[in-house]
Amino acid sequence: MQAGLLDTHHNAVSTRRSPAWVVTGLLVAFYLLLYFGKEDYNATDAAVRYARDPLNLMLVKLGWKLNDNGSLWVFNKWYLYAGLYTLGMAVGGYFMLRKHGNSTYHRYRTYSLVAVQAVLGLMLPLVLDFLGRPAWYFSYFFPLKYDLFFPYNMDHMQPTVMAWFIVMTFVGLPLLVYFKGKRVYCSWICGCGGLAETFGDPWRHLSSKSPRAWRIEQVSIHSVLFAAFAMLGLVIGDGLAPEGHAIHNFANSYKGMYSLAIGSIFSGVLGTGLYPVGGTRVWCRFGCPMAAMLGLVQKFGRFRIAVKKDMCISCGNCSTYCEMGIDVRSYAMRNQDIKRASCVGCGMCAHVCPRGVLQLVAKRDAGPGQHTQEWTVDL
Amino acid sequence: MHFVVVGNSIAGIEAAIALRNRDAHARITVVSYEHDHPFARVSLMYIFCGQLRLEDTEFYDRDLYARMRFDRVRDLVVGVDPAAKTLSLKSGATLGYDRLLLAVGSTARRLPWAGAYDAPGGVHHFVTLPDLEGVNAVAKPGMSCAVVGGGLIGVESAEVLHLRGLKVHFLVREPWYFPVALDKAEAEVVAEHIRHHGLDCRTGTPVDGFERRDGKIVLRLPGEELPVDFVVGAIGVVPNTGFLVDSGIALAPGGAIETRDNLESTSAPGVFAAGDCAQVTWPDGSRRPEQIWYTSRDQGRAAARAMLGDDVKYRRGTWYNSAKFFDIEYTTAGFIPFAAKPHKHQGVGAPGEEGHWQTWYQQLPGKAVTQRIVVKDGRVVGFNGLGTRWDHQVFMRWIHERRSLDYVLAHMNEARFDEEFMEPFRVLPTATLVDGA
Repeated sequence: MQAGLLDTHHNAVSTRRSPAWVVTGLLVAFYLLLYFGKEDYNATDAAVRYARDPLNLMLVKLGWKLNDNGSLWVFNKWYLYAGLYTLGMAVGGYFMLRKHGNSTYHRYRTYSLVAVQAVLGLMLPLVLDFLGRPAWYFSYFFPLKYDLFFPYNMDHMQPTVMAWFIVMTFVGLPLLVYFKGKRVYCSWICGCGGLAETFGDPWRHLSSKSPRAWRIEQVSIHSVLFAAFAMLGLVIGDGLAPEGHAIHNFANSYKGMYSLAIGSIFSGVLGTGLYPVGGTRVWCRFGCPMAAMLGLVQKFGRFRIAVKKDMCISCGNCSTYCEMGIDVRSYAMRNQDIKRASCVGCGMCAHVCPRGVLQLVAKRDAGPGQHTQEWTVDL
Repeated sequence: MHFVVVGNSIAGIEAAIALRNRDAHARITVVSYEHDHPFARVSLMYIFCGQLRLEDTEFYDRDLYARMRFDRVRDLVVGVDPAAKTLSLKSGATLGYDRLLLAVGSTARRLPWAGAYDAPGGVHHFVTLPDLEGVNAVAKPGMSCAVVGGGLIGVESAEVLHLRGLKVHFLVREPWYFPVALDKAEAEVVAEHIRHHGLDCRTGTPVDGFERRDGKIVLRLPGEELPVDFVVGAIGVVPNTGFLVDSGIALAPGGAIETRDNLESTSAPGVFAAGDCAQVTWPDGSRRPEQIWYTSRDQGRAAARAMLGDDVKYRRGTWYNSAKFFDIEYTTAGFIPFAAKPHKHQGVGAPGEEGHWQTWYQQLPGKAVTQRIVVKDGRVVGFNGLGTRWDHQVFMRWIHERRSLDYVLAHMNEARFDEEFMEPFRVLPTATLVDGA
């Protein structure tokens, strides 16, 4: 018994009843405000203004807004967001571990997610900004961070930073994923995945397991991947094309559309807003181009979920608690190891299995026949 | 050809699928009484506590019948006439067949106390969906209840009732918990774990009497009376074959349908049985039903082949199983002589078995983690593991390869099936190797 999962279905906020819709409404409203709310605060102007006033300068640099009447008001909204995000992950992580902390795997990966968010997603950018250096989020790579290689980023990227992002995006992560699985990024590092695994944990069972959802997922996530790489191509073309070329306008409007439709609405407003009604990994499953890219690597890599032969009792826990909508049970019932591009390796299926049938492994495949031999035993 | 399958749990539905896979044109009718769709009965406990919904336990998609072109009949079979090849249904209808599979499963064994079922309420079981609804309706936090029977259904119902906030008295008649699979030391680990959760777990405690008094159930235990709000009887299951008594289909004394090696009824040609309700031959030669999920599945598939005319001989093969006692996972493989009769296992011999028997055992200090390996004439023949996960296939391979205890102990980590970052297996200085099994 997973004591932590008790009452999942007796709990209104976890079962799409009205409190769930209220939470979804609040989350959607929050994200709409965050992405489309007007920001009349200019940190650079303020910094110039308080250049001779160290205390206020520090506050400004940390994102506080100083009003003329001396009162202190809202943060820079992105710092406010990063702070809330980290808080949501830490609190959600605490409750997640109250449920599943009896698993070492879940403990380690939850510590990792929260630590990466707190250090690389909040503190380091804050410190860099405070020191007047460009603030980078070192745990987000292309194509999830779709504008990483846009001119407004590249123009002031130090060579070492640029090397980090390029090498990690195109070599480091694919290699890690090949050997250890997509989970290295999606369930140990990524902030989007991190929020889903912690704050979103009460809703992980809501993902649709239908074959139709799987078909939609395959089309949608690879479309976004294509769109992201097409944009990279456009950005490069934009940089190379002579002035006045038609590509400039096209690239600009394409970038604008992508950042609105995918960057803001899909990954933010819907990706998090729909947690309480659509499950936690809506963005990761249907939209994230990073997940799509790493998923293709995973498909050819070593990671799989091994299935213990003929031990599955079809109880349904694994499929129910799979946040990526994989029908794990259908594989376990036919003794088939699970090698799915979408699997983020959160390990919950193995954890909730009451018969220990599933195991996340990243070893070289023993090859066919491993699970097909019958042992006739004379006693 | 018209195949009729009665029962849509794992044995019945696997048989129906196997029939369809081999015969695209046959008419296949699946009769079920409990639910429209196959569901995992083992998950009743998860439904009870809200971890799963009933639809989550349906182990095939709901389009299965349509895809497989099964005719769905929701009705209760009340009689079979093997001579006329017809079934009579509770609704009054009759249904003809050419080949019939009875995969009707089990029901809870009734408690043997006088008057236990005379009045409604107070006595429950935990085997069918109506059982689940019954317990679900009465069990309220703060109540007290007794779970009678030290098997798997007993421990599962005790666990979910405890988690709902009831005071649970878990009454085990045998000297220790689950003696068909665990020896005394292992059972102590489990019982201690159950007590640690806050249950009143009593072993060696038979219930001698039963009385309804002031809206309570009063159980008479050795030396005391135990008043509770209700009782869950978990003393095993019996084949659900009452409707066959006068049908001419031969039943074993325990109620299971007598079958030949191909799972066909010994008395009614064209009638087959699979799953909990079928009397089959065990590896030790005895004739009993196998009330296990995956043997039911295998029997269903074997019966389907026999119904299609194949020359089939159903044999289970080497024993293996797994379970979970609260948080303690349990894996077993091979031959673990029944510890229920410890007096027969003293010294070097197991009953009816010549040879030198030895038991290797260790427990991780302070943890509910144990391993037990049974050795016969220097060769490993059985394994029991509590608290960590093991791949029974690896053990079965070692048994097949006639490996020695030293070899097995040196390679134990190859059989581990735990999550990552777990401590590897190691032989502790406290490990013991004693004669007897």
